[in-house]
Amino acid sequence: MARERSGGARPPRRRGMGRRKVCRFCADKTMLIDYKDARTLGTFLSERGKIIPARITGTCARHQRRLTIAVKQARTVALLPYTTVYP
Amino acid sequence: MADRRYETLVLIHPEQGEPGSKELAARIRTLIEEQGGTVSQVQEWGLRDLAYLVAKQRRAFYVLFEYRATPRALQEIERNLTLMDPVLRFISVRQAENAPPAALRPVRRPERDEAEVEEEGGEDVDLMGSEEMT
Repeated sequence: MARERSGGARPPRRRGMGRRKVCRFCADKTMLIDYKDARTLGTFLSERGKIIPARITGTCARHQRRLTIAVKQARTVALLPYTTVYP
Repeated sequence: MADRRYETLVLIHPEQGEPGSKELAARIRTLIEEQGGTVSQVQEWGLRDLAYLVAKQRRAFYVLFEYRATPRALQEIERNLTLMDPVLRFISVRQAENAPPAALRPVRRPERDEAEVEEEGGEDVDLMGSEEMT
């Protein structure tokens, strides 16, 4: 394996089990990040309407940046909630 | 000045009703054109549920305008939109030149409207009733 060949450096160990997360927008190039698409954006929100961190969803940095912008745009036009718990 | 591709999503007060919102949409269209813009698409999404209350309203008419205009024209369009009372809110976004035109979306997703749910229930009952009759 390539890792073993690279001069004795230990292979990076993945903690725990489970599969590697792949950015959904990189995996599916036809998927566009659009603030008007509330349903897709909604899958990246927590139950409380907060944006789920990229480390959980596996979204890459570039797409996470675009995602947060789209979510915030969608919030301004009430397509997505700021919060689901009202004061 | 070079013109750019923009889109503006406008939320119209539900009190306007369907005809009123259409009329206002036409007015906004002429407003864009008066400013030298060329409208490529107008999408009426219809009455939609809001994610939160805006101006004490639960719903609003959503209308999307796709057009080309100069930055100065956009400024003027936005200024005029803020002056329109039935416009609850709007957002203008610059689109990339190569971005595909906004897809016609089946935005009317099955609304979890109590009245509609009741109607559906009613239809079911009717069907069952007719089956029994035959």
